[in-house]
Amino acid sequence: MKFREYEAKQIFREAGIPTPKSVLITRPEEAKTALPAVAGKVVLKAQVDVGGRGKAGGILPADASDIDAVAKELFGKTIKGLPVEKVLVEEAVSITHEYYLGITIDRAKKRPVILFSEEGGVEIETLAKERPEALRRIYVDPSFAELPDFIVRNVVGTAPKEIGAVVRKLYDVFQKKDAILAEINPLVSSPAGILAADGKIIIDDNALSRQGIAENRDLTEREKEAEKHGFSYVELEGEIGVIGNGAGLTMATLDIIAHYNGRAANFLDVGGGADAERVCHAVKLVSSMPGVKVIVVNLLGGITRCDEVAKGIINAAVSQEIIVRIAGTNEAEGAKLLAEHNYKMLKTMDEAIRAAVGVCR
Amino acid sequence: MIYADKNTGVLVQGATGSQGRFHINLMNEYAKAVGGRGVAAGVTPGKGGQDVFGVPVYNSVSDACAKHDIGATVIFVPGSVCGDSIMEAADAGIPTIVTITEHIPVHDVMRAVSYAEKCGSKVIGPNCPGMMIPDECKLGIIPANLCKKGDIGVVSRSGTLTYQVISELTDAVLGQSGIVGIGGDAVIGQTFSNVIDTFHEDGRTKAVVLIGEVGGNLEIEGAKRAQALGLPVAAYIAGISAPKEKRMGHAGAIIEGGEGDAASKIEALRALGVPTATRPSELPELIRRCI
Repeated sequence: MKFREYEAKQIFREAGIPTPKSVLITRPEEAKTALPAVAGKVVLKAQVDVGGRGKAGGILPADASDIDAVAKELFGKTIKGLPVEKVLVEEAVSITHEYYLGITIDRAKKRPVILFSEEGGVEIETLAKERPEALRRIYVDPSFAELPDFIVRNVVGTAPKEIGAVVRKLYDVFQKKDAILAEINPLVSSPAGILAADGKIIIDDNALSRQGIAENRDLTEREKEAEKHGFSYVELEGEIGVIGNGAGLTMATLDIIAHYNGRAANFLDVGGGADAERVCHAVKLVSSMPGVKVIVVNLLGGITRCDEVAKGIINAAVSQEIIVRIAGTNEAEGAKLLAEHNYKMLKTMDEAIRAAVGVCR
Repeated sequence: MIYADKNTGVLVQGATGSQGRFHINLMNEYAKAVGGRGVAAGVTPGKGGQDVFGVPVYNSVSDACAKHDIGATVIFVPGSVCGDSIMEAADAGIPTIVTITEHIPVHDVMRAVSYAEKCGSKVIGPNCPGMMIPDECKLGIIPANLCKKGDIGVVSRSGTLTYQVISELTDAVLGQSGIVGIGGDAVIGQTFSNVIDTFHEDGRTKAVVLIGEVGGNLEIEGAKRAQALGLPVAAYIAGISAPKEKRMGHAGAIIEGGEGDAASKIEALRALGVPTATRPSELPELIRRCI
């Protein structure tokens, strides 16, 4: 789950990482009095979860004379389709140099990696591609509870020494918050010292409960409903509803739909050992998506029993046609039940998917 | 030996939970059918002294290892405490640690896998169906009825997709030397390369089927490793139609900033000369042409 800038900065401040003075507001009238201690210029930053926010007009400078008008303008905007509901009012900082500092996980090396560049404030992916030598990558043994000095030295290099303290504190945030990304971009040098001018934190979804986060707000309502039932669910834009078990098999189902020039409406993995009730919920959920013309159920029973799957499909009694391919444990019983209720059951996944694509033609 | 064989004594951690019980029974039914040792002991802290289908349960891994000759463990404990169970098994010196559990926080996985490697243990998984050596041993949840003994090594990041591929291979009378699910998470223990090395050292594998997904780049490294060892390899990568930045069930199956998407992986594999299927049903034919 992603934290927005104002949340990331709150976490930074709690960890002792200096940030520019800022206050979050939810109404334009609050802008003027938000930062009474700041006399000069401020910036208003829309708290929307999109990349390239600045270029899309989500960051506007203001001063005492025009702050009301600027705030009103920003709250009236939609940035890349998202309405502006929260704005961070932040003191304008005079920047002498920008750095990039990020910590993430390297899958292949199975460990955290600290990324640092003396050329901050840029699209880091672009920098990594075009000038990889400008981005330092320092790997950390995951058993270190805190960073040893040599790692901090290797990260900072010839950049100002104060950055070392920020590196240590950000690594602490990365570990304690179960982050898969903790990033400061840019980290700036200013007359007030080193400051985290913008930041991003993404928390591991598998660690939300121990981080005290009850609900993943990055999900749509239907996705939340799916999560309640323990489904992995992603909405797409086609007309063939998909229910599978296991991420790989369900993804393969989507791929074969595309292979036959069909368009999948969703990805729904019911997980292992689904019983009639779970399958029934899954079928109803997919059926409720607008535009779904046909549903493919592609399940391989290991722990999952085919007769339970058949009962779930029959009990859901949805309006769309359902094409079923189930194989494995209790396959014959499942097939018998489905035949009794006039559901089409096909032997292979290729056949089932071709039939579903045929329904949409 | 591919991580384990008929003579491997198996431990199950999380033995008294519903998954643990169910699969101890299935693993031992299989062991009985093929004359293997199967699950010798179980562990659930606080439940020492109980038994599950006749398998004695201990409070700790070290207690179990003191009483039994254990060569591998299969872990079913919940994700929130699973990192600890992996480290406990490694600390007791168990060489093969098969971790079925999904939803383990990735920081725990990194720490546990790193510790296990330092102890000289090999972690298979997490978030995997385990492994299966047909007619020898079953460590995990792969349905035994789908498998057939032979000389194709199967290594996969998926669960049910692996079952799909094994059943296609078995239907085409292409038996398997070993089936290893390495897991769908962003960070895993044994990689494609490690498993392919094991197939090679064991010597019974004539060709490898590699089943990958979106995310990361381990498939390419694995295919190169097989080629360097002179093992023919055919591949299938799921997720060519997966949208970017969307998590498709596995923590590992998310495309990060365009890296590791299925199309570029398939392209890279084909550039290496690895026959790569667009549908799982094409794999038997591709692998037959390899051997």
